[in-house]
Amino acid sequence: MGDAMSEQSSKEGGVLANPTRRTVLALGAAAASTVVTIRPALAQTAGSVMNCQIPVPGPQHSGQYIAADGSLVAPGTPGSFAPPARPITGEEAKTLLRGGFTPNGMDSQSAQAYANYIRRLQSGMSGFTCYASLQLPR
Amino acid sequence: MAGPIYAADGPGAIRAVPLDGLVALFHRPSGMTHIVAPPAPQILEALQEGPADARTLLARIAAVYEIGEGSAEAIEARLAELEEAGLVRRA
Repeated sequence: MGDAMSEQSSKEGGVLANPTRRTVLALGAAAASTVVTIRPALAQTAGSVMNCQIPVPGPQHSGQYIAADGSLVAPGTPGSFAPPARPITGEEAKTLLRGGFTPNGMDSQSAQAYANYIRRLQSGMSGFTCYASLQLPR
Repeated sequence: MAGPIYAADGPGAIRAVPLDGLVALFHRPSGMTHIVAPPAPQILEALQEGPADARTLLARIAAVYEIGEGSAEAIEARLAELEEAGLVRRA
């Protein structure tokens, strides 16, 4: 018992500051709320930039190829590129649009076409909200 | 009948800063910040030992603290709040 107690008390790195056996914890009434979430726009942006995805092209144009200028063309059109095998993540798009690294598994020419497609996204298109969130200051 | 089993992200997912009696939590996966009051931080801490239902969590917390007023129902209510905030999920 004594050993188990000291082991519990010596845990570090959590949200508890060295709890001891003598600390009294009131659980309170079931109705008493204890969690308040702060929803600043920037905090949401940070989350969405990390997690959001941009399908290229959107599901309504599935199968179409992407021309160098970012427009959608029929599959096999000369000078166009096959869609990426997976959606581009917000983080990847951000780097790509700044002329940085090409996402894993994509060559630089097709990645530029995808970047141009993303730049042409408009409200209502798949991935637009993700793209728009990339434009906000961090 | 056992209640739902809850789980929390690992310790690296949350940055916790004590503010007197409250704790500010930054949840890295969502980018959201939460201010929580006891016993919410203690529930999250107890979940670090692994997924559990309210009754098991109460036992874990009671191993560290003297439990004052309240019951497993209060723990369940807090778990529901933490789930809504995205800090815990059903396992």
